[in-house]
Amino acid sequence: MSTTSTEEERSTEARGDTILEVNDLKTYYEDGGFLGSNPVKAVDGVSFDIQRGETLGLVGESGCGKSTLGRTLMRLEEATAGEVKLNGTDITTLSGSDLKQFRKDVQMVFQDPDSSLNERMTVGEIVREPLDVHDWKTPSERRERVRELLETVGLQEQHYYRYPHQFSGGQRQRIGIARALALEPEFIILDEPVSALDVSVQAKILNLLEDLQNEFGLTYLFIAHDLAVVRHICDRVAVMYLGNMMEIGPADEMFDQPANPYTHALLSSIPEPDPTIERDRITLRGTPPSPRDPPAGCPFSTRCPVKIRPEAYRDMDPELWERIEVFREVLRERSRADPSLSDRVRKLLGRESHRAGMDEIIPELFGELDVPSSVMTHIREAADYAENDDEDAAQTYLHEEFGSVCDHERPDQLTVGNRGRLSLCHRHEPEYEEPAAVFETLVQ
Amino acid sequence: MSTTTETEIPLRQRVAENPQPALIWAAIGAVLIGAELGAILQVVGAVAGVVVNLIPGDPGASAVQSLQAAFDAIPTLISRDVIPNQGYWNGTGYENTFLGLSPAVAWAIRVAVVYAYAFAVLAWAWNGYKRFRRHYRRVDWTPRDDVVNRFRGHSWGKFGLIIVITFVVMAVFAPTLGPTTMEQNILQPYDYEVSYWSEDTQSVETVLVGEANLGSGSQGAGDENVAPLTYDDFGRFHPFGTATNGKDLFTQVVFGARISLTIAVVAMGIAGLIGLALAMITAYYKGLADLATVLVSDSIQALPVIMVLILMLVIFQNTWVRELYDGAVLIILIFSIVYWPFIWRSIRGPALQVSEQDWIDAAKSFGQTPTQVMRKHMAPYVFSYMLIYASLSLGGIIISVAGLSYLGLGITAPTPEWGRLIANGQQYVASPSWHISLVPGLLITLVVTGLNAFGDGIRDAIDPQADTGDEAAATGGGA
Repeated sequence: MSTTSTEEERSTEARGDTILEVNDLKTYYEDGGFLGSNPVKAVDGVSFDIQRGETLGLVGESGCGKSTLGRTLMRLEEATAGEVKLNGTDITTLSGSDLKQFRKDVQMVFQDPDSSLNERMTVGEIVREPLDVHDWKTPSERRERVRELLETVGLQEQHYYRYPHQFSGGQRQRIGIARALALEPEFIILDEPVSALDVSVQAKILNLLEDLQNEFGLTYLFIAHDLAVVRHICDRVAVMYLGNMMEIGPADEMFDQPANPYTHALLSSIPEPDPTIERDRITLRGTPPSPRDPPAGCPFSTRCPVKIRPEAYRDMDPELWERIEVFREVLRERSRADPSLSDRVRKLLGRESHRAGMDEIIPELFGELDVPSSVMTHIREAADYAENDDEDAAQTYLHEEFGSVCDHERPDQLTVGNRGRLSLCHRHEPEYEEPAAVFETLVQ
Repeated sequence: MSTTTETEIPLRQRVAENPQPALIWAAIGAVLIGAELGAILQVVGAVAGVVVNLIPGDPGASAVQSLQAAFDAIPTLISRDVIPNQGYWNGTGYENTFLGLSPAVAWAIRVAVVYAYAFAVLAWAWNGYKRFRRHYRRVDWTPRDDVVNRFRGHSWGKFGLIIVITFVVMAVFAPTLGPTTMEQNILQPYDYEVSYWSEDTQSVETVLVGEANLGSGSQGAGDENVAPLTYDDFGRFHPFGTATNGKDLFTQVVFGARISLTIAVVAMGIAGLIGLALAMITAYYKGLADLATVLVSDSIQALPVIMVLILMLVIFQNTWVRELYDGAVLIILIFSIVYWPFIWRSIRGPALQVSEQDWIDAAKSFGQTPTQVMRKHMAPYVFSYMLIYASLSLGGIIISVAGLSYLGLGITAPTPEWGRLIANGQQYVASPSWHISLVPGLLITLVVTGLNAFGDGIRDAIDPQADTGDEAAATGGGA
């Protein structure tokens, strides 16, 4: 995706002190099949950078690859392609003592405080372990350091000889934070550090994290799905969808005026505390596509409410257009679902498959609408393919006929505004209408 | 900052600051151990003897023998010499027995003293743990405390523990417990004599032990039977009666316990170590390592255990391996090889489960080495499961060894083995000499039940929510 001028702009721009630079990072999970497997593309070409001392929020719905991205940056997963530069060194290829040094500089705080602490070890042993691993000074100095750390994160010294079982969730998370701080890292990845905690405790932990950042000059990558939390703590926010970075930019600007359609939809899902306020929510239809088989064009094209339509259908009834999109979604779902054994037998015997049912689906979707005959011909054509259990042909047919630039071409990260905001959407190109404007008309 | 200094203190200093509980405990311990110091050293000597025996060519055998002689000279409280029972009636009273009591009473007192001593030592050790917990331990609670407390409330498990202890004490104190000795009664009966009161001549006479044995066998007929808790014609007391050849059954049973326990514990120890090590490696690395181990273990598990044992024992017949420790070494090796897949299988699940915990990732993330991750972060969680399975499988091994000896394949004669005793008395089961088969049979049943109960107790203590329907772990396993 590194073609446009925005890429150059970004690198030439003198933007303070970059601690972490990620270029076109990909992490695929092979499913261990012996034959040519179709890997899960958990992170599918992501580029961004993090400035020293800032907090970058990483948001997205579950399964979007944000945790995998964090784990790849930690070298807990191996990157499939791309590079991750920490202070200018590519860490994806480190090994031996270089890797050990890297392990000292970057630490992680985990989501589940129940699972991230070994419950057979005392708190002191847990926090001390990183120091032991890296042979930090003398054993008595290590003990001294652990006690300091416990105090730093708001625990007491006498907790040294207690076990994690004896603490509440919030306290356990403090222990996890103390362990992450032990080796004085520069960069900490916070993987949903508060999402397993009570709301009242969340605030305390977030404040602690902010205080620690100020005190030790830490850089955070804050992975979260709670947008309110991200807004509270982050300087910049990156939004992920299906292994792609949809939008990245300053938090305040992004929350006030989301550029990308996906960010729009995501932000509209934040609950409003005031029940009297009437708001038009954007509800996305369907579910994200399988990361094994992402869309060829824009990753969000299958669900985007403001998708660009092809020239011929630009004036079509929005209702009908949506039904066509739903029809395509149905076909996708059907091709994704493995046929059951009895279906296969039926097919082998040449009998009619139960999965067919197109004569039910078509009236259901288009029955009550006034469909122009030209459009209906195409729908019938596709339905015929599907009827013969050839969903792929049906999809290709509809793709050709109703597909637009969103379906065909993967968009670039385009600059929005003047504060270094990037958004992955065709609509930022000059010939199309901006997503925000289209949303305006949708809501009305 | 008082807490700081308090937590810094090493154990020695903590004891020094509050010495009373530790001192009392140490004093009791000194008395208990001092009473049996000679015996402990004799055990060391015996182990050295076995080790030397295992090495081809027996290097240093003479040195070990002189060492054993020196250790034997140390007097101990609980020994045959202090409470002797092998005396005789001289017409007016007993000679050479403890306080002039009858051989039966003298023997009973010795057995009682042995068990009293053993349980006193265990109580002392338990008391030491409690003292440490109350006075010296830095942490006031550990997850293990809960396990201990749960086990203390588990009656079935405690019953099992007592049976197991009884069995272990029987094996450990075998030479002291028998009314006669292995050497005199079983191995070299024609080298020793016994004195007895002859009714015919109305005087004390002597006879070779071998000849006495010939006259006191249990052969099923009323006049050729020495039942449990009776004297034979030569004034010798037999708590479990005699075997068909007139040798004392109790002596054979206690020494049989020794060899059964040794085989079961050593084989299970080796199998457990292999299983645990492989479980750590396969759970940590997964993938190919796991697949390879699955293949190997499945191949081994597909073999019928008892068939493999019989085949191997026949194949190695007349080789030097078969001779080691009366055949026990070979049996131990076969059991280790055959049993590790069962252990590995049963702990593979827990090992995989713990390998998915975030604390493993956390340890990796700050650079902990794989071996340390396995040792510190995985093994402690899996070890307890292995303990459960091992204690349940011990019974299976004991049964298998007895079964092999019953078939005449296991431990070579004359070393006593429970299975051989059962085979020995099999044809007299329906006669007055029923005790020959029944007593060892009952003991095997009791010991295996005890081990299973103990395993159940550990399982419930470790994991109160455990699925008790786990078939593999719930049965005694094996043959």
